[in-house]
Amino acid sequence: MRDDPTVVDLVTRARDGEKNAWDELVERYAPLVFSVCRRYRLAPPDIDDVGQSVWLRLVEHLPGLREPAALPGWIATTTQRECFRLIRSTSRVEPVDLAESPDVPEQAIAEEEVLRHERRTILRTAFAELSRRCQLLLALLIQDPPPPYDEISRRLQVPIGSIGPNRARCLTKLRQTPALALLAADGPDGFDQGTRG
Amino acid sequence: MNPDWNDDEKLIDALRDALASSDEVPTAFVDAGKAAFAWRTIDAELAALTYDSAWDSLDALAIRSESAILRSLTFASDGWTVELELTPDAVLGQLDPPEAGVVSARGETGKLATTDIDDLGFFVLHPPPNVPYRLVCTTTSGTTILTGWITP
Repeated sequence: MRDDPTVVDLVTRARDGEKNAWDELVERYAPLVFSVCRRYRLAPPDIDDVGQSVWLRLVEHLPGLREPAALPGWIATTTQRECFRLIRSTSRVEPVDLAESPDVPEQAIAEEEVLRHERRTILRTAFAELSRRCQLLLALLIQDPPPPYDEISRRLQVPIGSIGPNRARCLTKLRQTPALALLAADGPDGFDQGTRG
Repeated sequence: MNPDWNDDEKLIDALRDALASSDEVPTAFVDAGKAAFAWRTIDAELAALTYDSAWDSLDALAIRSESAILRSLTFASDGWTVELELTPDAVLGQLDPPEAGVVSARGETGKLATTDIDDLGFFVLHPPPNVPYRLVCTTTSGTTILTGWITP
């Protein structure tokens, strides 16, 4: 993900005026902006305000963006800055320990959210690459709590006995998707593929 | 922060979180972001804020909250100056050097109001926008001047 070719491509195309590429960038990073805002417990209208400022800044910033691959970090940091600006100007939210402990934790939070966003994006991409049957099964199994197996059996029209093995099979397929395999090859931060067979 | 997705349960948890996180972002939030692209098409001279009467006050916040008090702003680019007076009823503007044209106030979601700039470079936007906006002045000779953000 460090040099995600998709992001570089989207930034280049958006810079050239392609609205579709911009839309895709926004769809991709709106969850990042949103989750950073949530970290600072902003109310929905405030999140909207911050979002607008971030996107407008990005529009202005696009031509000067030298390293498109650094975009997620830029978005997280800019969102954070806009959150602080809003918190300071409205003081509707108590600036908890924000003022006392500036730089280090702020940066850590931004990095954390970028990482989290990357992982979520990878998982969603991987999930989209799965077969329809695996998607349906996993969509049921990730419910909290998951429905009982007899209900899953009825809804997907599969034998109860096959649910457990299919669950394992679909998760293995998920790990083997190009999106996740890339992460595994990405070094210590990834995971060790295939040890569970 | 090793995800440890070798573990089936942890992978299920991570997947739940990933799929839920995209659902929690409101569609309107995403759409507003997409609309921001419209600003890109404005090929304009950027006029930056060079004077704000609120700066003169020891208590700038007091001025902002008292809407009856007149506030004046000056935006300047290399060749142009836009002087504004914000009153409760209208935005009075003067383009310098004077030239006729059209001025619009644009908010984050698009055009809020439009009016003509007269031959003396003077314009009145009435009523004033009640959300943050920027002014886009397009002169008859074809120059476009974009001011910085103005917060009512």
